Amino acid sequence: MATRRSSVRIDMTPMVDVAFLLLIFFMTTTQFKAPESVAVELPLSRSEIHVPETGTIILTVNRTGQMFISSENVADAQEMAPDNALAAIVQWRERNPGAVVVVKGDKDASFGAMADLMDTLAKAKTLRFNLMTDLRKADDQPGPDGGAAGGR
Amino acid sequence: MSDVAVAETGGKKTGVFGRVKKGRVGVRVDMTPMVDIAFLLLIFFMVTTVFRRPLAMEVNMPEADARVEVPESNVLTVYVAKDEKLFARQGRDPLQPIAWTDLRSRFEAGTAANPNLIILVKIHRDARYEPMVDMMDTLEDAKMQRFSLIPMQEADVAAVEAAR
Repeated sequence: MATRRSSVRIDMTPMVDVAFLLLIFFMTTTQFKAPESVAVELPLSRSEIHVPETGTIILTVNRTGQMFISSENVADAQEMAPDNALAAIVQWRERNPGAVVVVKGDKDASFGAMADLMDTLAKAKTLRFNLMTDLRKADDQPGPDGGAAGGR
Repeated sequence: MSDVAVAETGGKKTGVFGRVKKGRVGVRVDMTPMVDIAFLLLIFFMVTTVFRRPLAMEVNMPEADARVEVPESNVLTVYVAKDEKLFARQGRDPLQPIAWTDLRSRFEAGTAANPNLIILVKIHRDARYEPMVDMMDTLEDAKMQRFSLIPMQEADVAAVEAAR
């Protein structure tokens, strides 16, 4: 008995519709990570508070202690010298009074540089700010080398 | 790619209103390459999308000129030396070396013994920024929300060197 070849034609329209819908969704939500002009390796912390996506003033301190000020678009960061940091912060705060100040410090930056920056923030009447961190894994202990035996 | 199927129209047909109907041309476009590209882009955007936003610790500093006087016995001072080794002292006791791993239990024991305990963290200016965040994380783990964080003075540096 010869079986007749039946050609099955599936209507792919709904599938293609969904595919395009998802495509458009991902295209519009994708934010390409801006090529970072300042390389910063963040310290780890267990804090899970998110930095707002917009309305931020980001103060970047790299490992050599150079300071940069920018909006959430880190690509246009402008360097600030230690002696005009206060003026720059005050100016940015005036221009954008509701902005959240985020300090993005490299973990290898010196504490002295960070302490000076925090002093400057206090002088600029910015007593609330965020320290940008990466998430520390639950089993990792704070401290050098994951807290291994008190010291490096 | 695409083929055109011309419907056979046997002579000219007249519609209801006497207009001449054109022969219906059914165009069938092969959409396979377009759908291929669509899926390719879909997979690309799905893979490259990062939903991760950066995380942060919140810091509330006191007013720059705020002064609080506390009895010295209520103060637990933790020193972070330049090489990131830790020393702790309660009140005016001599400095004791302490391991990073013991720090949290030290804070918890201190608060259990004295609920008014105030933690003062002195960090060497040439130490890195990372131990400061580690210290804040440890304090947070130990449920200590109030602490002071200040750079070491020269006297503190000397005291740390003497305690080694």
